[in-house]
This record gives sequence, structure tokens and C-alpha cells, in this order.
Amino acid sequence: MGFQIIENERLGEKYYRMKHSSGLVIDVFPKEGYNSTYAIIGTNFGSVNSHFISNGKEIKVPDGTAHYLEHKLFESEEGDAFSRYAKTGAMANAYTSFEKTCYLFSCTENFRESLEILLDLIQSPYFTPETVAKEQGIIGQEIKMYDDSADWRVMMNLYQAMYHNNPISIDIAGDVQSIAEITPEILYECYNAYYNLNNMVLAISGNVSPYEVEEIADSKLKNSSLLDTKSLFPDEPYEVKEKYVEQRLSVAVPMFCLGFKERASAEIPSIKELVCTDILLEAFTGEGSELYRELLDKKLINSTFGADYLAGKGYRAVMFEGETRSPSEAAEAICEGVRKLKKTGISREDFEIAKRAVYGRAVSAFDSLSTTANMLVDAEFAGKTLFDHVEIIANVTFEEVSERLKDQLDPDNISLSVIKGIDD
Amino acid sequence: MYEFTKKTICEGVSFGNIKDDRFKRSRINATLVVPLDKKTAAANALLSCVLTRSCKKYPDFTSLNRKLDELYGASLYASFNRFGDFQTVTIGMSGLDDKYSLDGRSVSSEITELLCSILFEPNITNGRFLEDDFEQEKRQLLENIDAEFNDKGVYARNRCIETMCRDELFSIGRFGSREDVSGLTQENIYKAWKNLLDNARVELCMLGSTPYENALEGFKKYFDGSPRKITGSTRVMSEVGEVRRIVETEEIVQSKLVMGFRCAYPKTLRDRIANSLMTVILGGTPTSKLFQNVREKQSLCYYCSSRADNNKGIMLIESGVETDNIERTEEAVMEQINAFVHGNVTDEELSSAKKALKNMYISTLDNLGAMHGWYISGLLSSFLASPTEEADIVDDITKDEVVELAKKIKLDTVFSLIGN
Repeated sequence: MGFQIIENERLGEKYYRMKHSSGLVIDVFPKEGYNSTYAIIGTNFGSVNSHFISNGKEIKVPDGTAHYLEHKLFESEEGDAFSRYAKTGAMANAYTSFEKTCYLFSCTENFRESLEILLDLIQSPYFTPETVAKEQGIIGQEIKMYDDSADWRVMMNLYQAMYHNNPISIDIAGDVQSIAEITPEILYECYNAYYNLNNMVLAISGNVSPYEVEEIADSKLKNSSLLDTKSLFPDEPYEVKEKYVEQRLSVAVPMFCLGFKERASAEIPSIKELVCTDILLEAFTGEGSELYRELLDKKLINSTFGADYLAGKGYRAVMFEGETRSPSEAAEAICEGVRKLKKTGISREDFEIAKRAVYGRAVSAFDSLSTTANMLVDAEFAGKTLFDHVEIIANVTFEEVSERLKDQLDPDNISLSVIKGIDD
Repeated sequence: MYEFTKKTICEGVSFGNIKDDRFKRSRINATLVVPLDKKTAAANALLSCVLTRSCKKYPDFTSLNRKLDELYGASLYASFNRFGDFQTVTIGMSGLDDKYSLDGRSVSSEITELLCSILFEPNITNGRFLEDDFEQEKRQLLENIDAEFNDKGVYARNRCIETMCRDELFSIGRFGSREDVSGLTQENIYKAWKNLLDNARVELCMLGSTPYENALEGFKKYFDGSPRKITGSTRVMSEVGEVRRIVETEEIVQSKLVMGFRCAYPKTLRDRIANSLMTVILGGTPTSKLFQNVREKQSLCYYCSSRADNNKGIMLIESGVETDNIERTEEAVMEQINAFVHGNVTDEELSSAKKALKNMYISTLDNLGAMHGWYISGLLSSFLASPTEEADIVDDITKDEVVELAKKIKLDTVFSLIGN
């Protein structure tokens, strides 16, 4: 089938894309003069895909299964992938998010051998009662590490407060009880449902030739049958589940996370929507904004303060978070700012400045091989090309950003999550 | 590929340039170095924060930050650290490379000018910074210090070092103590500003595609040419007494174990690299002794890793475990060190650690921030070599060399943070 070349003049960059005969989408982004290579293969399967129909059978799996599977896929009948990578010198890792599971490595030599290991790894599941049991202690400690992390808890608690039914409210790694229910059979069922090459993307950036990648893919990839898996998601009301949630942890500075829940379709937002939100948030709460200054003057935030957009299939929310001595006052001041913003909108000048900042950051992202490859995976799962994002920023108008504000930041649909100290 | 040039402005003040046209961003940094001193560490740290808030040209936080946004989201940052028994204060900027600006302006020359304003023309009237800048940054620094307790991994590591190095300047830390910061006055930070500009060793470094000559000339104007002599040296303890054990309890789910060791303080570049290789074999990769034995074979933890500080001659091993398993984990760690000391290192362990370390070194070349860190560290330690040169040395190191270095590891302090 061969590669299609996707170019962007503004950035002076290009990448090679193909749908391989095995079903896998392959993106190769050569970066001239780079010494290292970063490769990542992702499946469109994350912690939220816990209920699905595959080949006519309806399946529900325990919380934390996608993440558990990620750990266990490193082992095959011949041994574990880490010891194979040790021979090539590649640095390997993997991660599971709400929406996807990715396996990756970066290397400065022996690229071919390392890519072969990566492609073997995702094609040779090997789960036995013994190997599955061994991971309980390790993942148990990983879960407990996150249980103590105020950064993580303040966010997860917010998701639980905002969402009634959407699985975004369930911890990616599950909990100690749920992972105890995981069996080799469950892992195989998930593997067969989602680790289908038609559901996966391989993205490679850096010191690499697309033709070498094609050759390795030809020799290593087994054809996948057509994908017959449908993820099931529960309906989610518009209103937040709870307005306020609080947890006490051993912290010296309290933290808050304020979420503005939005109406969300089953589809992920378009790039235009994401870009408009980015610019809007930069203008509204960036370090150059009036609101940031006001929050500082009132001693309600410090340099950890920031805004973020949570957006996926069936969930969307703008979030503001940071450390603060006065969580409720900080939240109230932000809500007040939102009400004002809803009335007046952003100014043209603020729009222009925010647009430049967002543009500069988007261009800079291409300096990093890992960011580039991860963005490629996300772009493929979203059905877009990688450069759409920068082009849309460069061309977005004041009117479009102002229009976007209408669907966002409803001050009557918010949840506040707070972490306080044990004795606060 | 890239070119490193070093120019001396005067004794103690130098200007380095890494000319590299692969990147979409450029960086420029000033690193000021002074001996760690309990009396000035806090003031230096707070000063760096206050400096990045405003300057004569952009006299308040909002106007300065709007300027940064307008420069395509340029970033202005301050950091303070320790390097052996010295304190380093870095003020730097990064911005979009000129070729990507939408309106043809030169972001790189503007950020250089802005950095000079920040460093040399701060918002000072009658020896005082803007009151608001001073108060706000002091409050935020105190909150950042308090927040180090929020992250129990960081907290446990800091407590272990503090205890282990209690009689050394090193224990002053990056910013002194909370009390030191809390007691700071305007006068303290004004003095710190004067002192750093007049007496600190200064390492300026510019990275990116823009020719450096204009920036170099720009900086020269601010230094009168008088030499700076930095005194002080890092105290190295190679002997240990009885192991010191500190146990604290907190309301946490997972307990933390941090073991502090004295190890070699390498005097040659080759020994520095060999010492790094030794810690990679021990606990630096998923095939290291600690990961394989403590995590994979015994399922005791999610992480168990080692890291050495070659500029101080110490090494830390950190893990997060069940309270009931703390002793077992400590034993398992010591077993692996003992095996190492007795020469129990396979060819495979040695060769995979070498590959991993070389990969880390060479990957530095693909990241501007990492390159900056690499060269500053090389300049400060006086062991300056390129990542490629160091990678070549890795290949040459023998098993005997790493085993000899493992023999220098001595347990000094064990800090445990236990869940209630």
C-alpha cells in the first residue's frame, strides 16, 4: 500500500503514514539530526473500556483490568520483555490512561531489534495463574502509592463528584479488592477484544527511516481479523453528582480542584473545540490575566495553579486546580470570575495575546520526540492529522473563541474537590 | 551537529554557547554559584523568585507576563539547587526560534534583552523591591516548602539527607530552612542581589540557532571585569559510624524507606562514569539487581531504585513498601549490595547497564534543557566532556572497576516513614 507523506510548510516538518496490511496504522516522523528514536504502540483501550460486546458476547471486567493487562503483557512464554530490551540498551516503559494503553521505548542504537521486541510484546500474550498472582503485590503497592498522592486524589475525587455513571470516575489501576478478581481468562478476553491491530497505532519519531520500519512490520506483524468489539458506556446526566467532596490526607498545604461539567457527546471534541478552549483558558486564567492577578493578590493561589480541559468520550469539563490555604474562597473567586466572563466575554486584545502563547507552545511541542509520537497516536485515534492542530491555532478567529464560551463554564454545574490536612 | 563554544568575560564569569539549529525553541540561562551558607541560602532562593516577577521595563507581574505571552509564550524561570556544598541560582528564559514567529520579529534577541533587564535592572527603589513582589513571593516560597511534605517520597528523601549530612553544609539544602525564609527582610534580598551579581561565579549559557555574538556583547556591559574568586569546597565523608536510624509516623497508606549511603567521591572523569555505571547495575533499570530481586522476585514494592550524587559522594536507595515489609526490604537491598561487593556481577548485567547508561547520555543531545543541564554540570564539576565522549568511556569500563566502587558503599542512615 505504501506510505502517504503528510507535510506542513509552516513547521518545515513531515511524516509518513500507512495502513499496514496487518491492519495496523503506522506513522513515522523522521527528525533530521536527532540521535535517538522513540517508538510507541498504543491500543484504543483504557480503563474506561470495562464493559463491552466482543464477537457477540457481552463482557464486564473488574476495575483496573486494562492497567493489569499492561503489566502482564511484558511477559511472554519465552521470558519478560525487559530482559530482551536490556540487550539492546533501549529504555522501555508502558502506561495506561483512561482512554488508551501504550507501550514504548527510546533508543540510540539497535533500533531494529528493539522494534522487533515491541511488536512481539503486543502479539504474544501469556497469562497463567502464577504470573497473574505475582503481580498482585507489585500493583497493590502502586495503588497504595497513588492513595497517598494528594495530586492524584484531588483529581480522582473530583471525577467521582462530577460523574454519576461514567467510568472516568473509576481509578485507572482499580483497587486492591478489584484486582484480586482478575484472572488469566479475563486478561485474554480483553486482549482478544482490543489488542487487534485494526484498533492500534504505531508511531515512531527521531532517527528513523520509514522504509526500515515497513520492512520490520512486514516481517513481524500477523494479520488481524476485522475488529468486532463495541465498548458500552452508561448514560450520564448533565448535572454533577455532588457539589463538594473532601478528603483528609497527610498534607501541609491544602489542595483544590474545581470542575465545570459540560454536556458531552459520545465523541471526543474536535480540534477546533480544543483549540478554542485552550485560548479561552489562557486568556481567562493565564499568568498574564486579570483573574490570575486577583487570585494572587488575595493570596488564594500560588505557582501550582493551572487550568486544564478534561475531554473524552462522554465526559467534558474545565478544571482549575492548585494548592491553596483557602479552598472555598479560591473556588468562589473563580466562579465570580466566570460569571463576569460570561457577561463580558474576552477582549480582542486578550484573545490575540493568548493565541500567540498557545501557538508558541504548540510549535515547540515538536522539539520533543516523545511528545511528537504521543501526539501522533492521539491524532490517529481522533481521526485527524498531526498538523491540523497548529494550523487551526494559526487561523482561529476571535468570533470562534467567543462562541465557544457559550457552551462552557456553566457556574451552576460545578463540583469542588478539596484535600485537607489531617488536623486542618 | 552542534557546537559548544566557551568565552571568558572576566575571571569567574563565562559565557557558553551551544549552537544547534535543530530546535524550535531557544534558551538562555544565567547560573550564579556561591558556597552554601546558612546565612544567605534562603535570601538567594527568595531573590530568584522575586527577580522573575517584574523589572524596571515591565514593572508588575501582569505586564511582564503579558509580554511573555506576546512573545509566543516565552517562559521565564528561576531555580535554586545545591551542587556539592555550593548553591546554584539559575534565572533563564526560553522562547520560540525566530523562524517560526508569525510576524517576523526576533524572539531570541528580545528574550536576551529581557533576561538582562530581569537580572540587572530589577524593580528596586531605595534599596527595596516592590513590596507586593516581595510579600507574594515569600508567601509562595513558604507554601512550596510546606508542599514538599505533601509528596511523601520527596519528604522522606529530604529527611534522610538532612539527617545523614547534619554536620555538613550540604544539609542546608536548596533554600535553607522554613524559618530562614520566614525571617527574610527586604534588606536581606537586596544584599543577596548585590552579592550574587558582584561576587558569585557566573555561568551564562545560550542554546539554539541564533548567533551568540550580540548576546555576549550585551552581557559584557554588565560586568566591570573585576575577577571573582570563589572559595569553599565540598566536604566528603568516606567513613561512617554506627548506622543512624530515624523512624517517623504519618497518616499514610504506603510506608517509605530511604537508605542513605556514603560512596566514592570520584576524582577523575572515568571514575565518575564508573560510579554512575555501578548505580545503574545496582538499581537504575528494570533489569538492575534491585528491580529484579526486590520487586520482581519478592514482589515487595512497585519501585526500588538507587541514585548517586557524584558531586557529594553519597547514594540513596528508595522504595515504597508495606510497613510489615520494611525490614525485609532493607535486608533484600543489603543482600544485593553484598553480592555486588563480592564480585557477583554477570557479564550480562554489566553490558546491559553500559547500554542503558550510554542511551541516557546520547539521548541528552536531543533535548535543549537536558543539554543545558549537562554542560552546566560539566563546567561546575570541572569534568567537561560531551555526551558522546562520555558514552565512549562507558564502553571501556571493566567489571573490576565497578566492583571496587561498590566496595566503597557504606550504609550511613536509614529513614523510615511509617503509616499509622
